[in-house]
Amino acid sequence: MATMAKPRPPHLDGPNIAAAGNRLPSVQDYKQIDREIIATLKPTLGWFALLGSAILALFIGIGSWTYQIHEGLGAAGYQPPVMWGVYIVSFVFWVGIGHAGTLISAILYLFRAGFRTTIYRASEAMTVFAVMTAGLFPILHLGRPWKFFWLIPYPNWRLIWPNPKSPLVWDVFAILTYLTVSATFFYVGLIPDIAVLRDQETNPVRKRIFAALALGWRNSDTEWRHFTRAYLFLAAFATPLVLSVHSVVSFDFAMALVPGWHATIFPPYFVAGAIFSGIGMVFTIIIPIRKFMKLQHYVTINDLDAAAKLCLFTSSVVGLAYLTEFLVAWLSGNPVEQEYFWNRVFGQWAWSAWIMIICNMVLPLSLFSQKLRRNTTWLFILSIFINIGMWFERFVIVIPGLSHEYEPWQWGGYHPTWVDFGILLGSFGWFFMWFLLFIRQMPVMAIAEIKEIVPPPMRHVHGHPVTADGSHTTGGAH
Amino acid sequence: MQGVIAAFGELDSTVHAIEDLRKQNFRDIAVYTPAPRHELEDAIAAPKSNVRRFTLIGGLLGVTFGYWVPIWISDYWPIVVGGKAVASWIPYTIIGFELMVLIGSLSTVFGMFALARLPRLTLTVGYDPRFSHGDFGVWVAAGPDRAPQATEVLRKHGALEVRHER
Repeated sequence: MATMAKPRPPHLDGPNIAAAGNRLPSVQDYKQIDREIIATLKPTLGWFALLGSAILALFIGIGSWTYQIHEGLGAAGYQPPVMWGVYIVSFVFWVGIGHAGTLISAILYLFRAGFRTTIYRASEAMTVFAVMTAGLFPILHLGRPWKFFWLIPYPNWRLIWPNPKSPLVWDVFAILTYLTVSATFFYVGLIPDIAVLRDQETNPVRKRIFAALALGWRNSDTEWRHFTRAYLFLAAFATPLVLSVHSVVSFDFAMALVPGWHATIFPPYFVAGAIFSGIGMVFTIIIPIRKFMKLQHYVTINDLDAAAKLCLFTSSVVGLAYLTEFLVAWLSGNPVEQEYFWNRVFGQWAWSAWIMIICNMVLPLSLFSQKLRRNTTWLFILSIFINIGMWFERFVIVIPGLSHEYEPWQWGGYHPTWVDFGILLGSFGWFFMWFLLFIRQMPVMAIAEIKEIVPPPMRHVHGHPVTADGSHTTGGAH
Repeated sequence: MQGVIAAFGELDSTVHAIEDLRKQNFRDIAVYTPAPRHELEDAIAAPKSNVRRFTLIGGLLGVTFGYWVPIWISDYWPIVVGGKAVASWIPYTIIGFELMVLIGSLSTVFGMFALARLPRLTLTVGYDPRFSHGDFGVWVAAGPDRAPQATEVLRKHGALEVRHER
């Protein structure tokens, strides 16, 4: 048998100090978990205000896109030689945001990292909605967006097939696979929790909806046996998938002969950056959730501390990659490459590069301090800086590379227009609209997995019966 | 199917009840638990899940299909570039890998659904919403002749409620 842990006596109401074998000391039984997590589904005025703002932002984005379709791509500020702009920057940004969710839900699951249990559901939702957002940008970037499906190889009357050696085709496979697998993983993990909602719901309409979504789940040993196995294999598939997707996205750049792009360091550099930016976004969403949904005793300071260490580690990897790029340019002896990197930090685009360096390399160093790692206000502020810094990291990769290629007569500038910013704002509206809808319809924490880490109700502890007040007697061994 | 269902409030009572039932030769036993527990899995002694076979077959089919599609496209619509291979397996590994993950994952989920008999339109007779909330349930198949014996075992181990179901 596995652990037979001692339950925390119900009359004790001490500080929330986690110990080995009991990560959530303030959570006393299974019913408390159901009660407290289901209570978070009740909408509040603040939630309606946020949802309204997100929908407004989305409408601004839709309006901007409509204008762009009518006027053509010139409305988006593209100007030779810079024909990739805010849309590609935002595409890479949103794919990156998606990575932390799968890292937390799949990779940390395989590593049995305890701190993931309470934050993985929100992170996974973030992944699915971020990839849904990312998938819009290549379509927005097309002159004829209604022909996006031409990239998918299917038998067609034109007898034309896409080139499978093109990174753009690899992107289609990688992003669609990632979206499908992360959404499947997300839904499969939700099934037992939806069954809890079905069993506890009193509204007949919502009960029917939950019953349909729960697929008749009954919590039987047979279901759990196959479920836990399938979940393990899905995690095992999702783990290399996380690493592959941003590697494939990095090939969009690394396969091109553009100075600053054509580098073998790109795949690990992009993956580390993606995980770093995703953890930043996890902090941005989980800190308000734990505060406003009163879930501080589930997402403990210890959990945030552990996630902050992961953030610090990935920041260090990203910082190392930034510096390595300069070293490689210096050692290459290639004047074009050297000129490009000089221009990046001291030339035309210096402002964006320094935003990137300060937000992604310098500010996260504060996480060496345990006091700041355990300060939720600082973690939230830092997460905003990380989000900004990581958007600018992609800006620094895309724009200076294209605007400063081999021939000086080709060099140019780039000025995003209100259409770019409108669509960027719309993408945040789209993402947060789905996320806000999710957190009030579905449990924001994995009920069944939290039940796994809480000591189960026991009649006899260490062979002694438990009395009504939670203590156990010395006699009466069973 | 006729049988007896019992609700338990504690994990150890449930485990002891299952062990006792198995000792008394009750073979068709199902447990309902709010969260997966190794203790219950050990007590039931169920065989290993066969989901892994679906994963393996799906993954192999996916990787095969993932290589076949670009190779077939290259052969059908050749892009000849200066003596380079028309069908080059190295870049096609990306598509092969992605489709391995995609089809392998989907077949894993399909396998889970097929083996766990999901989706099901009606819940089993005797299922109680308490079993997802906080209590443990034990169902044991027993005809009218053995039902009193099963009831006695379940009550002896502290069942909160025991019901005969048909």
